[in-house]
Amino acid sequence: MKSLYLIGAPGSGKTAVALGLALKLRKEGVNAGYFKPVGTTAGVLGKHDDDGVLMQKVLGMDEDLETIVPFTVANFYISNFKHPDKCRERVLQCYNRIAAKYEVVIIDGTSFPWVMASFGLDAITLAAELGAGILCTIQVENDFDFDEALFFNRHAESRGVAVVGTIFNNIPRQMLAKTEGVYSQLLTGFGYEFLGAIPSRREIYSPTVAEYQEALNGEVLAGEEHLDLLVEDVLVGAMTIESALDTLRRALNKAVIIGGDRSDYALAALETSTSVLILTGGLYPNIRVIARAEEKGVPVILVHYDTVTTVERISEVTRRIKPKDSKAIAMALENIEQYCRWEAILERLRA
Amino acid sequence: MGRLTSFFSPQSVAVIGASKARGKIGNIILRNVIESGYEGKIYPVNPKETEIEGYPVFRSIDEIPGAVELAVVSVPAPLVIPVIESCGQSGVKHAVVISAGFKEIGTEGLAREKELLAVGRKYGMRILGPNCVGVMDTHTPFNASFAAGFPQRGEIAFISQSGAMLVAILDWSLGSGLGFSKFISLGNKADLDEADFILDAADDPTTKVILCYIEDVSNGERFLEVAKRVSRIKPVIILKSGASQAGAQAASSHTGALAGSDLAYDTAFGQTGIIRARNMSELFDLATAFAKQPIPKGDRLAIVTNSGGPGIVATDTTEAQGLTMARFNKDTLDALAGNLPREANIYNPVDVLGDARHERFRFAMETVMADPNVDAMVVLVCPTATSEPLETAEAIVAVAKAHPEKPVFGVYMGGPTLESGAQFLTQAEIPSFVFPETAVSALAGMARYRRIKERSVSESLPELEGLDKDTVRRVFDEAKADGRVVLLGSEGATVAEAYGIPAAPTRLATRAEEAVAFAEELGYPIVLKVASPKIIHKTDIGGVRMGLETPGEVMAGFWAVMSNVQRSLPNVIPHGIDVQKMSPKGQEIIIGMSRDVHFGPLIAFGLGGIYVNLLKDVSFRLAHVLTPAEIQEMIVETKAYTLLRGYRGQKPSDIPALVDIITRVARLVLDFPEITEMDINPVFAYPSGASALDVKITIS
Repeated sequence: MKSLYLIGAPGSGKTAVALGLALKLRKEGVNAGYFKPVGTTAGVLGKHDDDGVLMQKVLGMDEDLETIVPFTVANFYISNFKHPDKCRERVLQCYNRIAAKYEVVIIDGTSFPWVMASFGLDAITLAAELGAGILCTIQVENDFDFDEALFFNRHAESRGVAVVGTIFNNIPRQMLAKTEGVYSQLLTGFGYEFLGAIPSRREIYSPTVAEYQEALNGEVLAGEEHLDLLVEDVLVGAMTIESALDTLRRALNKAVIIGGDRSDYALAALETSTSVLILTGGLYPNIRVIARAEEKGVPVILVHYDTVTTVERISEVTRRIKPKDSKAIAMALENIEQYCRWEAILERLRA
Repeated sequence: MGRLTSFFSPQSVAVIGASKARGKIGNIILRNVIESGYEGKIYPVNPKETEIEGYPVFRSIDEIPGAVELAVVSVPAPLVIPVIESCGQSGVKHAVVISAGFKEIGTEGLAREKELLAVGRKYGMRILGPNCVGVMDTHTPFNASFAAGFPQRGEIAFISQSGAMLVAILDWSLGSGLGFSKFISLGNKADLDEADFILDAADDPTTKVILCYIEDVSNGERFLEVAKRVSRIKPVIILKSGASQAGAQAASSHTGALAGSDLAYDTAFGQTGIIRARNMSELFDLATAFAKQPIPKGDRLAIVTNSGGPGIVATDTTEAQGLTMARFNKDTLDALAGNLPREANIYNPVDVLGDARHERFRFAMETVMADPNVDAMVVLVCPTATSEPLETAEAIVAVAKAHPEKPVFGVYMGGPTLESGAQFLTQAEIPSFVFPETAVSALAGMARYRRIKERSVSESLPELEGLDKDTVRRVFDEAKADGRVVLLGSEGATVAEAYGIPAAPTRLATRAEEAVAFAEELGYPIVLKVASPKIIHKTDIGGVRMGLETPGEVMAGFWAVMSNVQRSLPNVIPHGIDVQKMSPKGQEIIIGMSRDVHFGPLIAFGLGGIYVNLLKDVSFRLAHVLTPAEIQEMIVETKAYTLLRGYRGQKPSDIPALVDIITRVARLVLDFPEITEMDINPVFAYPSGASALDVKITIS
């Protein structure tokens, strides 16, 4: 099998698994390349697909980005392209160029496996055409998520695509035991390979303050040097301080969104575990808020829209590993080595 | 740390930034030093001048031939650091930094203030300010400030975080005749703060009363320690602003103070014996009372009046303020009955009637003051046609002199008619008021102080044995490794048990079969509670099942709780379900803790159950200065106490068991500063023992 096609929903950590796998294969002496037939620009300010940029840099691929990620689409694409066949042709050409150079190609799926199905560019159709094996990544938070993995596997199989197996990824701690004890056995019982259970790690999956700032394009009033802090929770400050303190104390490494005039709230938030203060309404805060934020090393971002708009704009913020995130990159590899049956994957690829 | 005498009576002072131009701060300070009558050496410093106000000027501090004990710095903010650096190199150990442009202006100023402190520390220099008005001592005399005027000599030390407040009071005092020993403007409190000066004033023989205006305290723990010590030596009266939400904001923008909760301040003052003034007039009424009159030996007040109405108002206030109306003995009543007109009221308040001249006043006052059942007297004088304000005032002074151990306050209710009398009283050191409520309130403040001094020199919390710190640490580490700051119920119970708090045994089950196994181990009936840090109100979403008697019920209960949670909160993934043996119903109590920014753990005790939020029957104490006597007090203060003693035929509850839980909670939160919040709700108190049913702990 020449290539491995990763499918899964957003948040299932396809790119981190692709990255970890590619690095592991290289470490094992297999010259692995990366290909992403359809990239997406949703929630991205730049015109390039971030994942493509990351893999190009980390794997040191000479191909240009247009070859590694031939397409980027938004969720209204059908009328944009006059000739679906030419799109397919281009994808195949680019894939062939990469396949010719690398021993193994890791193909990264789009946000959802069905994206561009009307052009015949969805993951399953394309995998069949390229003769790639499907590797499903799933974040299990409940039984429905398990069903999703099972459904994808069965669907691929019914279309004649080889199913390599499933990696349960980015698993919340409280679901770890159930994943290892229950879901893994259930999956095996249905005749599919259980390839690993990777616990959720904030260093890979929590967005940074910088990613929030990218989405908001606000004015950074303090803590510019701490934009790499991770955001694990988002709180909207719409209560009295007394009621809010309980919630403020409970949430770790959070973004707190409040009106710029709520100095009392901002100061209280700064006394708890806060990664960023997002002040709305274009209201400059009390100087004391800025001073305390500087002291605590917490970025303060001022935006000119109201709180509701702000919340909307950050709802799509997800973590995208950047080429210089050496810690996250090392961890992606470590996840594959420590929690996955990578030997089984390697064996299928060599078969 | 030694006394801060170098700030009040230095042998020599350098005024850095002294100016020739009248009206400039650098000139005002120098002239204030000169004109205060200061007898030490004065060294103006200014690189551009040679002589100011008749004094030779030095280009820099190191050119001064002799030693400089105190430097007063008034140069532009960017020059302060180099000036302090050179002071340090020249061996100056004390500095007052008048200059503004520090923390109060924001980030840039904050960095400068930090550097100022660092430079000071490097040379072992103590710094007052920056951004302050300066210091004054009327006894030295010494005035190193840019205030207009110099206070009259007196026995009140006034420490103020607001410079404007200080100069306003100074000007007011010159008209009112109130004298001061010291004025201290704290400014931004970069180094020296209120605690330092309160401590210093405690040992100052010229100071009898310590008065403070503060917007926050710098170091809560140290403040508690100092306040507790000093309040036993001298009265410490504090006006703390920022009690309201809006006030807190104003305070935060003012000198850059982060306002803590007012409740914590109130508790801190109460526990350490600080007398809290609620407004500025009360602050100075209390100061006047303490400075001029002896502290009453008891709470029994006699009122002598020439009019009925004000007498009744004074009586109402007496009771409202926690004082008691003195009950005269038979000799007093006989004497009053025999010598006052028949219409006069001989019982307290003694009404000598509107036609009373000063002799009748004098007789009534002498008689009641001689009564051993009287601890203090308030005399009310209304301007009637026959009133003799001045002669009556002379009589009041004479009677007060004859009884130096009993405080006497005058209330001259009126305006111009009574002015001569009121002035005479003030000059004779008898506090004089216009209305009875303020006089009685000031007296009540003095009585409160007496009770503070009489409080037993309190022992600290008892040493507890068998505390299992390792287990607590392990539970916290596990939660942190799990990325949580809120402990699960089972973890809370484990922590409580490790500190000897009787927690109902609780196990975390992740599967229904496991829940049944735990139920079999613990015994029935069983309570199931959903375990998730994301769920604050478990009952509201059907996350609790009580009174389960069989394995089948436990099994069904497990699934019922799980599906209820999924229905209400589909995005929450529970950690499992806490399985707990159901405890018999007891008296419901809450014991909790929240950590205050300034003063650390604040322990709460109160009535539990469903009416908690309605009744708000909760008392508070700070753990840092908690004593066994205070734990007892905090229980007695609540309405819950009446229930605990056995209300309407119920059996009394085990109060010592509750005292023990509070003691252990206090120890736990002191030992583990990472506990930011703790709530045991409810604790069931039984006739014998108590049980902590739900222990919630949040860590940082």
